[in-house]
Amino acid sequence: MDSTTAFGKVVSIIKPFVKNTAAFSAPTDGTRIVEDLGVNSARLVDIILAFEDEFGIEVDDESADRVRTLGDAVQMILRKTAPAH
Amino acid sequence: MQEVVSQAFVLLTYHSLAAWMRCRRYRIPDLRSTRAEFAALVLERRGPLLVCANHLTLIDSLIIQWALAPGWRLFVRPDWFFWNLPDKYNMSVNPFLRVLGYFGKCVLVHRKGPPEEARRALDKVAFLMARGQSVLVFPEGGRSRVGRVETTNFMYGVGRMLQETPTARVVCVFARGLGQREYSNFPRRGETFFVRMERLAPTTAFHGMRADRDLATQIVRHLSAMEQEYLENTILDR
Repeated sequence: MDSTTAFGKVVSIIKPFVKNTAAFSAPTDGTRIVEDLGVNSARLVDIILAFEDEFGIEVDDESADRVRTLGDAVQMILRKTAPAH
Repeated sequence: MQEVVSQAFVLLTYHSLAAWMRCRRYRIPDLRSTRAEFAALVLERRGPLLVCANHLTLIDSLIIQWALAPGWRLFVRPDWFFWNLPDKYNMSVNPFLRVLGYFGKCVLVHRKGPPEEARRALDKVAFLMARGQSVLVFPEGGRSRVGRVETTNFMYGVGRMLQETPTARVVCVFARGLGQREYSNFPRRGETFFVRMERLAPTTAFHGMRADRDLATQIVRHLSAMEQEYLENTILDR
């Protein structure tokens, strides 16, 4: 999976949780999920679990804690979906 | 250290706060039978309790502690003197509250802080419960803005606590002033409180964050069911 596809899926997963819709009109890798998009921090767990379902991955606590921006989410997903060598 | 100091001063702390609540003419009908009911629920063995309650005012934890046990009980049974997890912001308003938080067994949580900070608070709770201490938590994660138990937008931290201390016994407590319409800082003066409690044994087939969510959901739904029963059976003091 390429990063553009992953980014699109991440955006669509996060969309229902976004409160600041203006900031969501032009999302970038650097867009912060809690601070910029106004996502309730309690809902981050729901978002991470949705990533697990969508991409067939498992996310541990430490990886989840490191997801602050849309780009962080994409990078984490790409790492976990990359074929093992 | 905080555990030792707060336990040493428990009678002073408890009776000072109970006197303040009496000054505000707060009242719990059947206080004696409420305390007997709690004792019957948990006396069978020692060990950590995870007391889960609904949340509408800043002093819910005081009301619940007062309702469930007299001061002397907390003196002889430190595990009945619950740790609390108030928001760091609310407890930092003035020096008095900071001191009260220390003596009142509070683990301060920065609710809008980074995940690592929440994780540190949860680690501390796990440490305390491993030592047989009990914790009073509000699974909704804050005072309900809708005036009812919030069943759609709540925190999953209570599920993590239960996963980290599977031996903890869960007691759901529904407490609400008869005149309480929505969330507030304090209950009105002269308020009468309805208090009910039930044991719950949540289980899950999931693990990790999914289990956190599943366990927390079971607890919140149970509190909501207790609230529904209250609303159907209690004549509100309008």
